Amino acid sequence: MSVLYDLRILIEKKIAADGLDEVTVKGEIGLRTGRLVSLISVRTPDDPVAIAKMRQAAKDLLNISI
Amino acid sequence: MKWNSIRTKVLAVLAVCLAVGVGGTLMLLNYSFAKNSQALAVESVAGAQRLFNILETREISKMTAVSDTLVLNQQVRDAFAARDRGLLLTLNAPLYSELKTQGITNWMFHTPEPDMAVFLRLHSPQKFGDPLNRFIDKEVVRTHAIVAGNELAKAGFALRIIRPFPGPDGKLIGYVEFGEEIGRFIHEMKKQTGDDYGLLLNKRFVNPKFWADTSASLHRRDNWADNPTFVVADKTSATESIIQFQGDLANVAGSGKVLDRFNDGDSVFVRGIFPILDAANNTVGAMFVVRDISGVYRSMRNTQNMLLTVSVAGLLLVAVLMLTLLNRLIFRRLDRIIVVATRVVGGDFQTEIHVGSPDEIGRFEQLFEQFRCVFVDLLTNVPELQEKD
Repeated sequence: MSVLYDLRILIEKKIAADGLDEVTVKGEIGLRTGRLVSLISVRTPDDPVAIAKMRQAAKDLLNISI
Repeated sequence: MKWNSIRTKVLAVLAVCLAVGVGGTLMLLNYSFAKNSQALAVESVAGAQRLFNILETREISKMTAVSDTLVLNQQVRDAFAARDRGLLLTLNAPLYSELKTQGITNWMFHTPEPDMAVFLRLHSPQKFGDPLNRFIDKEVVRTHAIVAGNELAKAGFALRIIRPFPGPDGKLIGYVEFGEEIGRFIHEMKKQTGDDYGLLLNKRFVNPKFWADTSASLHRRDNWADNPTFVVADKTSATESIIQFQGDLANVAGSGKVLDRFNDGDSVFVRGIFPILDAANNTVGAMFVVRDISGVYRSMRNTQNMLLTVSVAGLLLVAVLMLTLLNRLIFRRLDRIIVVATRVVGGDFQTEIHVGSPDEIGRFEQLFEQFRCVFVDLLTNVPELQEKD
């Protein structure tokens, strides 16, 4: 399993729960982390720096700690 | 507000332009007012001097005309030739009463040289016999023609004319002299111009004891000690505070001098001074001129406020127009590029960037749209994305 992928799933759930524009929010997260969120899969290798950036972006944009 | 945004920088530049524009306008108006008030002051002094000279000339003409008529009066001539002081007084008293209403306050008959002395004072009949040794006395003796000029007496300034008085046989039997207090001139000048005037006498030419006695007899305050070098003989203003002069009257230039501009309550004044010469061309006094320029000052202030309002409104309008223009031409289009870029990164590959105008930003929009197409083409071949679809 990939932590990054887990984070992606949690973010998508939060976006859906809040009824936000998925494309825009994922785009902003992608710009902040330097990764295309849509490309993160179960095979994506974990990178501590990328994980930290993803968590920080989720906190800033969605106000969730994951 | 973001301090590093272009909007903030443009606003800051416009604010600086506003401040410089308004400051410049205010400085220009203040400079203009200073120049105008100086010109008004110069005009006040020159105008007052002209008016004073006109009044002087007019009064000299009037006294000369009276004296011309008088020397032709046979009764008066005979009485004077006979040295009949009583008859001379009786004959002239009615005319003197009339002349006094016209400002001629002094009227004297003098005996001829070598023992030239006052024979009769119409304005003070009981006082006579005092010898005469003034400049105009010497001049009339020297020239045997009409001599006119200002003469500073012990207690005041008077415009006088003195002329030879021929007897029945044409030989000189004495002199006749008329005089007017110059003090009354300033009240007439005030009526004509609205300016305030003060008549100053150089203390060197005035006897302080006589000044005190005269002040007492006229029931006026003895103002001898008010100023170190001059005494105010008369003034049109109720207050003496507007008469401020430091220096020696003798050093005031013949064409006069503008002194300063000052405020008194809400009013603004300019003041100046010009010398008054006696018959011997000595500067024995001066005329102080005070002009109220509050009207000009208020007009300048109104113009200043109007220009200030127009400048601020104009620059604010320019600021709004500039920001609107910048918003339409640059900021909104950049925002649109950011939105599209964000959406592309978020997985929306359909939203395109439209080139709004073939300008600098338009070229960037076109470049970014081409870049977006390459990026989307690249992503469509990524297996992860194909799996999701």
